[in-house]
Amino acid sequence: MIENKKYKNSYNFAFIDESTKKEVRRKLLKAVAIPGYQVPYSSPEMPISRGWGTGGLHVTLAIIGREDIFKIIDQGSDASVNACNLREFVQAMTGCKTTYDTTEATLIQTRHRITEEELREDQIFVFQVPMPEPLRSVERYEYRTRQMHGEADYAKMWVSLYESFVRHGGIMRGADYPVKVNGRYIMAPSPIPRWDIPNLNQSKTLYLFGAGREKRLYAVPPYTTVEPLEFEDVRFTIEKFDNLCYKTGYRRAFLDELYLDDGSRHFVINDSNFLDKIEQGGEIKPFINPYIQQIEL
Amino acid sequence: MNIVEVNQLSKTFELHILHDKMIPALHDIEFDIAEGEIIGLTGKSGSGKSSLMKCLYRTYLATGGEILYYSRGGVVDLVKASDHEIIALRRSEVRYCSQFLSVIPRVSAIDVVAEPLARTEKNRDLARSKAKDLLEALGLPTALWDAFPVTFSGGEQQRINVARAIIARPRLLLIDEPTASLDQRTKDVVIGLIRDLKQEGTSVLCISHDEYTLERLADRRLHLQSGRITHAITESI
Amino acid sequence: MSALLRVRNLTKIYGEPGERTLEQTGPEWNSNICPETDSIVACAGVSFDLYPGEVLGIVGESGSGKSTVVKLLYFDMEKTAGSAWLRPYNDGRTNMLEASGQQKRYIRNHLMGTVYQNPRDGLNFSFSSGGNIAEKLIMAGSLHVGSIRERASFLLEKTEVPVRRMDDTPASFSGGMQQRVQIAKAIANNPPLLFLDEVTTGLDVSVQAKVLDLIRELQQELGIAMIVVSHDLSVIRMLTDRTLVMKHGRVVESGLTDQILQDPQHAYTQLLVSSLL
Repeated sequence: MIENKKYKNSYNFAFIDESTKKEVRRKLLKAVAIPGYQVPYSSPEMPISRGWGTGGLHVTLAIIGREDIFKIIDQGSDASVNACNLREFVQAMTGCKTTYDTTEATLIQTRHRITEEELREDQIFVFQVPMPEPLRSVERYEYRTRQMHGEADYAKMWVSLYESFVRHGGIMRGADYPVKVNGRYIMAPSPIPRWDIPNLNQSKTLYLFGAGREKRLYAVPPYTTVEPLEFEDVRFTIEKFDNLCYKTGYRRAFLDELYLDDGSRHFVINDSNFLDKIEQGGEIKPFINPYIQQIEL
Repeated sequence: MNIVEVNQLSKTFELHILHDKMIPALHDIEFDIAEGEIIGLTGKSGSGKSSLMKCLYRTYLATGGEILYYSRGGVVDLVKASDHEIIALRRSEVRYCSQFLSVIPRVSAIDVVAEPLARTEKNRDLARSKAKDLLEALGLPTALWDAFPVTFSGGEQQRINVARAIIARPRLLLIDEPTASLDQRTKDVVIGLIRDLKQEGTSVLCISHDEYTLERLADRRLHLQSGRITHAITESI
Repeated sequence: MSALLRVRNLTKIYGEPGERTLEQTGPEWNSNICPETDSIVACAGVSFDLYPGEVLGIVGESGSGKSTVVKLLYFDMEKTAGSAWLRPYNDGRTNMLEASGQQKRYIRNHLMGTVYQNPRDGLNFSFSSGGNIAEKLIMAGSLHVGSIRERASFLLEKTEVPVRRMDDTPASFSGGMQQRVQIAKAIANNPPLLFLDEVTTGLDVSVQAKVLDLIRELQQELGIAMIVVSHDLSVIRMLTDRTLVMKHGRVVESGLTDQILQDPQHAYTQLLVSSLL
């Protein structure tokens, strides 16, 4: 039997067919051209349910190349079940090298966190997004939210922040805090904690956002201004832990609260690769922003 | 110098709901009012006195003729002037005091009187203080000042009516039976106030059937009968 | 002094009008509906001027087109024909009915206030009453919570809504109080022009009186020009300087309010006035 290697694989490189990849890339270009603007896209069927990261996967698979080194984290951890599953899928579909090391990766996909280590110009960072529409909480009709974005009519969003302040004494959103991109569009940065929001601003890396279930893509190009919505007298703040990581003593990172088997309560750095690096005494290059700088070392 | 010249004024009511019935009210009215002059308008009831006054104030639309009013800004034909011009004149120069107080509900007596002045001077407190002076001069009991005029007696209402018409000194005052329901003392006060206005240059057209009032106020009289002027009498005071 | 608002030939037709639609509808025909094309002439040929500080009433029965006129002017509806020039908007040189969506929103936020018959149309019931007022202030560019709250409480005080209810939603207020919150919101940015669309219809008599008193007081104090739509002549009498009488989409008479009430010229006006209870 003569073997035909050309058709050895049942799948195209990176699973998605080239025409669909082309469409996704075109939409991504449009998203990059209009920072913060949600671009509708085809959101093709994947062997993963909606709500499990299809959007992020679409972006990754559309842009990944053979030479890319791929990293994927879920709530900061490389080793969680979902991160592992998606990593294995991408590896099987592309044959790319995968890594846990933030500085080694060229393409990073994330669910709900930005890495503690600063990202570079040669890297691309892809977010998995559940709800791309930041105005959904104040306006349930899609045609109206589109009109609001088109006319920059964001008063309702501001009023909901005002109401939050009035009822609870502060703006209570812990994650998915609305931001204004490039002074124009209000964007949902995906449910990253407030800690990560300042790292969107004027960053060196390209941020891409994919919402598969809602079929929207958006982007924040490098060196773009991203400002959290705040009033002149009620300002944006990041989380205050008043604690240190019990394994490393490090303060300037987003910490997880842990209860050990003996009932004792501890905090530990959430970004697993960052934690590993500090524990092993490796070199770290964390993000620097005015909010983090206020925390004592 | 005339302030008002009425030429060939006529008014006929056309009542469409009564099968277009025509009711004539005024015919060929001609007269002038000089600056600073007080004219007494007399005649039986139904002779057209109130209709004439309402035509001047533009509450009635004249059917024919013209009413030339020499305002601060120039001559205006009150018959043909736009609504906007009339509103402006009513707020600044021309005031009308009808026989019956047109009751603005739920506004205190003080505020009813003060309103025309508060509008022009844009100072509410000043207007209210002047209103108090006027009401005091007119003998309205202090207890009533904050009350609503709808419950007042005819004489009390008339005093408020007069006060409201004169508080922001008009150039032309149209006043209908100013002393009708008043006692002697208050009559004299009202007459005195109107004469004071005349001293300051206000022209007055005053409807009255009270000889006492007319004697003391009118420089000239016009007598209306069935919608026509029958004769004019000049009185020297 | 030039007019604040000039409206010419304001027309709204539903459906496809024919050439003779306007001729075949109106008060003489006793109908808004065109016999040839079945299109509905909600209003046609409405023209008027409004000067600063003046209160204009528009009175008519159902189907007269009175509400349509104001809905067109505050952009709740698209016109079929006609122009409107507002002096503070581009010096009165641009037809605001043809402005872009964004410009219309600018005009609505800064130059107009609107009070609807149904508070649910003018207020957001998921926000607090202070938040509703804040919406208008934020749209005008204010982003300081402290001053927003100060201004909101000032306005609520002015409209006699208890300030301690500033953080409650209007859903828990009585009908009259909801209307007063609407009024507070409408005047938040000191607009030169205020639209009042049947604002007391459906309220209890004593509540209606309070709302009307408030409107009158505010008008005298702030000198805002107003357009008051009502089917109730006594509301018109209480609030307005001038009045337009509308029937089947056309203006049948216009004049000073006291003249309309005491010396009505048109047959329909005479009928209306004689029907005053």
